[in-house]
Amino acid sequence: MEETITGKVEGKRVVKDAQAWTEKYRTVSLKDFKGQDEAIARLKYFVINFRKGKRAAILYGPTGSGKTSLINALAHDMGFEIIEMNASDLRNKEQIEIVLNQASSQKSLFAKSKILLIDEIEGISGYYDRGGPRAISELIDSARFPIFMTTNNPWDKKLNELRKRAELVEIKETDYKAVTDVLKSISMKEKLFIREDILKAIAIKSKGDVRAAINDLQSISLNKEEIDVSCIDEREKEEGIFDALKKIFKAAKIDSQLLNTFDSVDMPIEQVFLWIEENIPIEYNNGEEIAKAFDALSRADVFRGRIHRQQHWRFLVYEYALLTAGIAAAKKQVRIDFTKYKRPQRVLKIWLAKQRNAKKRAIAVKIARFTHISIKKALKEFPIMVQFLKSQGIQERLKLNQEEVEFLMQR
Amino acid sequence: MIMKKEFSEIWTEKYRPQEFEDVIGQDEIVKRVKAFTSEGNMPHLMFAGPAGTGKSSLALIIVKKLYGNDWHENFLELNASDERGIDVVRQKVKDFARTKSLGDVPFKIIFLDESDALTKEAQQALRRTMENFTSTCRFILSCNYSSKIIDPIQSRCAIFRFRPLEKKDMEKIIKKIAEKEKLEIDEGAIESLYEVSEGDCRRVINLFQATASVSVKITKELVLTIVSAAKPSDIKVVLEYALSGDFIRSREKLLDVMLKESISGQDVIKAIQKEIWNLQIEPEIKVKLTEKTGEIEFRLVEGSDEFIQLESLLASFVLAGKGKQ
Repeated sequence: MEETITGKVEGKRVVKDAQAWTEKYRTVSLKDFKGQDEAIARLKYFVINFRKGKRAAILYGPTGSGKTSLINALAHDMGFEIIEMNASDLRNKEQIEIVLNQASSQKSLFAKSKILLIDEIEGISGYYDRGGPRAISELIDSARFPIFMTTNNPWDKKLNELRKRAELVEIKETDYKAVTDVLKSISMKEKLFIREDILKAIAIKSKGDVRAAINDLQSISLNKEEIDVSCIDEREKEEGIFDALKKIFKAAKIDSQLLNTFDSVDMPIEQVFLWIEENIPIEYNNGEEIAKAFDALSRADVFRGRIHRQQHWRFLVYEYALLTAGIAAAKKQVRIDFTKYKRPQRVLKIWLAKQRNAKKRAIAVKIARFTHISIKKALKEFPIMVQFLKSQGIQERLKLNQEEVEFLMQR
Repeated sequence: MIMKKEFSEIWTEKYRPQEFEDVIGQDEIVKRVKAFTSEGNMPHLMFAGPAGTGKSSLALIIVKKLYGNDWHENFLELNASDERGIDVVRQKVKDFARTKSLGDVPFKIIFLDESDALTKEAQQALRRTMENFTSTCRFILSCNYSSKIIDPIQSRCAIFRFRPLEKKDMEKIIKKIAEKEKLEIDEGAIESLYEVSEGDCRRVINLFQATASVSVKITKELVLTIVSAAKPSDIKVVLEYALSGDFIRSREKLLDVMLKESISGQDVIKAIQKEIWNLQIEPEIKVKLTEKTGEIEFRLVEGSDEFIQLESLLASFVLAGKGKQ
């Protein structure tokens, strides 16, 4: 269920830390969960009122939001023993009963109360696990202890029956600030010295998936000499784009075959532009080739702009032709060597700069309102205005806060 | 001797014209617009012209003259380049237009600045909005180029074309401020203030105030020092990397400069076009690169990703540099 990072970082380095950090730093107690107060309150209420209300709860939320960890922590805090089943255990009714009978009989051996956890409930297949959903439904009806189920998609048809019988509890995607805090505390414990903006970038990239973020942190920590956040970008989609880039950059024959190279790449065209842009100077190493390739890319971008503005989608043909054959035809000689393509850096850099520029922007917003201009124009005038913005009188007039004043005074 | 001066106000606001008579360099427009306010009625207006020529100022004067002390209640100021999408504009317009105007004038005024920042589709939507609220609202649209505004909107507006301020106009403004602020300014300084600002009055006044924050005696040298301090000289470094054949460093540096100074692709193109003539390359290559720069500026307007266009220009510099060696 938990993925270790070994499979992900191919051939980079042997994993020294045998334990995946996602396990090592799994949240033990409910008090350590960030941003899930509502869900926690509802779960506690559910457990306390188990006999009166519904007998099962479905926790749903995006991957890595902490559904399973929450149940574990709940059990830890409230002193329950967890009986865990996963989708593959739910073959059929008999199997479930075997597990449950064991559980019931165990009750006499240990004094602890129990909860039943069925992880990734959507994994039960209607065909192979014949009777599975029905078996669980019956199980719920006669449950002697609280049943928890987790799923990414509570609206799956297969779960129709279960949904009626269960309390639905949403686990929210973890906010990137909370993810950053988690990463910070781990990197402190691991004595890593990673800049906070990098941690933040990892957190943002994870899109609320704490598990993925921790995995990424562990994988970049293995690569000590250079910490490269870009290597965690959209991992699963990379296979396709790497192949496509290779096909175009290395193509010996430029023909119509090449034109639909990007059709099989599961990535919006905007991303493809960025990948090509990043890698042109990595593949092509002389001025002539670089200039030709960028000329093609630039023309492709012009068609893209025209499509946006005029909604004239036929231009897409030309955009793609330039992106594929155009880039391929820029080469002076065919290459057969291996090129290590890089992930696009620009978007991340823009994002990091935005964080840095946040204060400047906040000041620009105030200038814009005060002097009847756009924020854009205020930013443009900023380097000149900064000279007199240091005047206290003006700062008061613009209602700048302490942080903004300090920012100005440092300039 | 350098003296630090404390200010309590931003001059572009302090010296913003408050009366029709104060608006400089747009006499014909002022005359016609003034007539609207004395009649208490006006059509939709469109103010077209370069930055810093008095479009917003005139709009503000109209509103203040029409509504007197109630002007705040009857006036909505929006900036198309800041309001994300036409939906925001629409909603704000709707909310504003829902209630009746206060006082004698039967309509309210919406000032949509930089309206040429709206896409064609957004402009179509705006046109409908203008029609829907025409009984309760008048629009004043400002833009740099009226050609970027769709015909149906243009045909619903009285169009006024603002001219860049001439040197004598600018001189008048500078001297007036110098007098009020008790500053000494020589002819050379006035000349260079005018030159670097390209007829943009806001620019001139901001630059003037920036200069005045350093000294009460304003000279040409001082103006130029402040200008060059504010201008990223790094564009030169970017081009030098490119000419030396190091494309990757060149583009990295360019991105850094753009992000750090939050300057647009258009600004970069402008800077490059000027910088070409200071480079150590053959004159005919300078001409070639200038032409290429023009081509890229054109593509930058047509395309969708400024940075890709700029990179393509840098690649031309790499190519040109190869010929040099």
